[in-house]
Amino acid sequence: MKRVMLFISAALGVVLSFSSCGKDPLKDMTEDESRIYVTNRADSVDFTSYKTFSIADSVAVATNSNTEERALTDYDKKLIADVTQSLTARGYTQVSRAAKPDLAVNLTRIDNTYSAVIYDPGYWSGIGGYFDPFYWGYPGYGYYWPTYYQVYQKERAVSIDIVDLKNPKNNQLMAIWNAMLRGSGVWNISNVDSMVSAVFAQSTYLKANNN
Amino acid sequence: MKSIKLWILTMIAFLGVQSAFAQVRSPLSIYADYSIAQPFGSLKDYSDKTSFRGWKAGIQYNLNDRFAVGLQSGYQQFYQRLPRAVYPTKSGDISAVQTRTLEVTPILATVQYQLAKPEAAIIPYVGVGVGTVNMLYNKYWGEFTDRDNSWQFAASPEIGFNIPFGKGSPLLFNASVQYTYSPYKLAEITSYNAVQANVGLRLHIN
Repeated sequence: MKRVMLFISAALGVVLSFSSCGKDPLKDMTEDESRIYVTNRADSVDFTSYKTFSIADSVAVATNSNTEERALTDYDKKLIADVTQSLTARGYTQVSRAAKPDLAVNLTRIDNTYSAVIYDPGYWSGIGGYFDPFYWGYPGYGYYWPTYYQVYQKERAVSIDIVDLKNPKNNQLMAIWNAMLRGSGVWNISNVDSMVSAVFAQSTYLKANNN
Repeated sequence: MKSIKLWILTMIAFLGVQSAFAQVRSPLSIYADYSIAQPFGSLKDYSDKTSFRGWKAGIQYNLNDRFAVGLQSGYQQFYQRLPRAVYPTKSGDISAVQTRTLEVTPILATVQYQLAKPEAAIIPYVGVGVGTVNMLYNKYWGEFTDRDNSWQFAASPEIGFNIPFGKGSPLLFNASVQYTYSPYKLAEITSYNAVQANVGLRLHIN
């Protein structure tokens, strides 16, 4: 009986030692394959009711350490240029901040590499140099973020937010569209073109005219 | 129904008596097999690739020359990577390369009936395993995963044969085909259905 028990425990040991011999999907994954492009829209919004937009002149950097606020690196310039070009191609007209644009575009690089937080722009809009509504000519206003923006993450990411300046409600500016770029290499300048074109390609409703 | 039960009991008793006269091999054996599995049904919708990553192993005790009971475990990984595509969500869309995996680890109590005597050159058998199975589901969106780990009921009938390496040898070659069902439900999977082919060795040890 002793021998039997010995063999049973040996067999169990073999089973346990082999039980994790599966292929790890992350091992052979390229940076491009690792990235996901998430877009969210406000349901009740008619995107053709907006005609003009203005884009932030730099990119907000939201970090846990909160050492940097806004930046205008080559990456940031490229991001601003690509988003501007994409919106123009969809029929929106770029105007200056002072010209009362219908839409405001905020760009944010998020660095949560060291501690995970729930991504809710409302949570960190006060820190890390996020564009205050004052920047858009709405002093004393807050941003309203629908709950669908919440994403749990521990990573570097980029967020493109389009805010409705035309219809402020109860001292709040509502975000009507958001794109989150997540995964490896999202802060790499050579990926900006493909990432921005992907989020616009999957948001065909985002256009100024119905044709 | 009663008469069938009675017949089975009689058969077991009869075979039990018979085994006392013809013991070619020691009753306790261990076995290990390499497994290839093909998904069916909704499992195929989740991951339609044949799995070449699998094995099973177990321990078995022969009650007599025909009947054996045992314990079996194993592992099988289904794996498929889909090219980048856009998937709709509740409030928008996600563009992602999806990697879908399902790792299956059953623990089954088995019953086997051998269709030939232990002296035979080929010993065909039929068997069934019933027990529980661990399902580790990972649907990766890029490098981010939707993960679920759960235990389910599983049943697994099997048909196969053993070939002894020489008459009365305690070492036997094994080949079998096995179907596994589990009422496993998650996202696109409405039940688990897979057919696996096994080849390996069986060794009588005590």
